[in-house]
Amino acid sequence: MRRIKMPQMIVEIASAVFKKPFTFQYPFTKPKVPEGLRGRQIFHPERCISCGLCARDCPAEAIEMVEVSGKKMPLIHLDSCIFCYICVENCPRNALTESTFYELASTNKESLALRPEKPESEGEATEGE
Amino acid sequence: MKEIDIEEEIIGTLEGMLGESVLGSKSPRPRRVYIHVKPAAHKRAISALLQAFPSTIISTITGIDLGETIEINYHFWCGKAEVTIRTNLSKSKPEIETITDIVPGASLYEREVHDLLGVKFANHPNLTRLLLPESWPENSYPLRKDWNPKQTGEIHDSSEKTLTIGETRTESNGGSLVNVIVGPQHPALHEPERFLFKLDGEVVVDVEPRLGYAHRGIEKAAEHLMFFQDVHLVERVCGICNVAHTTCFCQAVEALGKIEIPSRAKYLRTIVHEFNRIHSHLLLLGIAGLEIGFESLFQYLWRDRETVLDLTEKLTGNRVMAEYSTIGGVRRDLTPILGDEIKKKLQKIRDRLSFYKEVFQSDPTIELRTKGIGVLSEEKALKLCVVGPVARGSGVKSDVRKHDPYAAYEDAPFKEILYKDGDSWSRLMVRLEEVGESIEIITWAVDNIPSGPYRIRVPRRMPRGESLSRVEAPRGELIHYVKGNGTAYPERVKIRSPTLANIISFREMIRGCYVADIPAVLASLDPCFSCTDRMVFVDEKNGRRWIWSMNDLKARRRDS
Repeated sequence: MRRIKMPQMIVEIASAVFKKPFTFQYPFTKPKVPEGLRGRQIFHPERCISCGLCARDCPAEAIEMVEVSGKKMPLIHLDSCIFCYICVENCPRNALTESTFYELASTNKESLALRPEKPESEGEATEGE
Repeated sequence: MKEIDIEEEIIGTLEGMLGESVLGSKSPRPRRVYIHVKPAAHKRAISALLQAFPSTIISTITGIDLGETIEINYHFWCGKAEVTIRTNLSKSKPEIETITDIVPGASLYEREVHDLLGVKFANHPNLTRLLLPESWPENSYPLRKDWNPKQTGEIHDSSEKTLTIGETRTESNGGSLVNVIVGPQHPALHEPERFLFKLDGEVVVDVEPRLGYAHRGIEKAAEHLMFFQDVHLVERVCGICNVAHTTCFCQAVEALGKIEIPSRAKYLRTIVHEFNRIHSHLLLLGIAGLEIGFESLFQYLWRDRETVLDLTEKLTGNRVMAEYSTIGGVRRDLTPILGDEIKKKLQKIRDRLSFYKEVFQSDPTIELRTKGIGVLSEEKALKLCVVGPVARGSGVKSDVRKHDPYAAYEDAPFKEILYKDGDSWSRLMVRLEEVGESIEIITWAVDNIPSGPYRIRVPRRMPRGESLSRVEAPRGELIHYVKGNGTAYPERVKIRSPTLANIISFREMIRGCYVADIPAVLASLDPCFSCTDRMVFVDEKNGRRWIWSMNDLKARRRDS
């Protein structure tokens, strides 16, 4: 019953020696992300009508409505966000839009809140991907 | 028309055999039958069903708190239709006769209902805790509607009775057995579960699994979210088979609200569902390679699995958490360019598959470690009501896609893979060949996808009623039972994941095997414990456990 037959895997392994590695050397080489990747949302404060639908619909309850210069606007807690994009889908004025920015790792929790009062910096960050 | 005859036949047969004990019966859609029987008559009804349809297996038991009474639903698959036998118990004294003597596979489901709803199953051989910790207070049943986490208070976890490692017991026959505890963090899987192995030298005599370490309270939490939000909650029951969970839940809600989704959406669901199956099966085959000490196989299989993950990411927007199915269809469309890419890349995997098949068939390492080990006979598989590749590895026909078609599977060309031997090798081969079938299904679906909309708008409010949905998840039959009460929130969501059905058979497989075979046999079962444990939220810290309500959690998160 015990046949001495093992070349299949040996040949495979031997041929792999001369190939370049399949893995990426992240963060030195970054993978090309597909167009539709659900990354960090972009908030456009000028479009927001303070309806609060995003906060009510969020399954993870990651959106809090905060007051910014007399107007209620969504603050997204990215640490509890599940990136389901219900907020993006349900926003009646497209005030929340998609981006493919995925490098969200951070050492402090403060930086994981997407605050509505700083719209310019968000734009910059998303260009980095 | 033929299917309606089957339902009428089932109702007619049972009513004929039970006479006045039947209080009512209905069949809201094809292949679904509900029969309401008098409180003590459930056992007679089940034995009548077993008599009329010998290949009947139990799917699950759902308990629902209706306020005054507790409703117990026994869901059975009788080979042609899903039969639900329903009976009501008084809430003040919920006691019911066990059915484990006629259906041994019901043991875990009865323990689950006992744990979470406090129903006493009289004469059950081992009615102990299944999901909740041993130190959980008596008379505190999380799935009852009047349960309040505040009342349960703090749980002191000092008295958990565990056996010590290496404890030796002298048995009555003169020999001595050694108890070895493996887990909760155990070598074979990266999920917490405890096994107590009783060993006679190197041979496993018996095993007692203890579930519940990854118990999160999803069924209870689902009652506090709207239907469309629940889709994203049930997705998180399990990362690997997330599409199976969302598809199953969406189908249940669509049946509840009598929503007919566009046929393009059905095809798209099929495609993503099969992507899910391919990547899950390749993952498991790799893990099996790792467990038997064949690491290069693991590396290569996982490299090829990456192709499927990339395709999933392109189609859905994420590698793993697809968030693809939603009530009323799917959330993204498939472009023709991506369709071509899918076909081209899957062709590559298909070529690789023939190579892997040869490896699995001819490699001496795999042969020595899996052939003839961990055998589950066909008869036992049927008796223990196992599902999915485990059942098919023992020659039991159990493919939901074939026997209870959903999405686009009615027209899809594919074979149900069956292996007769019932050993670890058969279970792995079933999965390997199923990957090939999945590739056929996806290629067919991409070629034949109908044009039109892929999503329709649905109301948030769902009507009063109930529905039961089954899908073939990568690990086997997955069941979602959803009960609506006329609002946007479900009254009850019951999830029965495939591993809960399969874990009971591990005892049967591992008896008589060597200690070294434990990881390989367990891996061949493809257990997913995060699927198996859901429900009540328990946080473990400093040896004590607290229970938090959803609001407490939110408050806590904001504070920190």
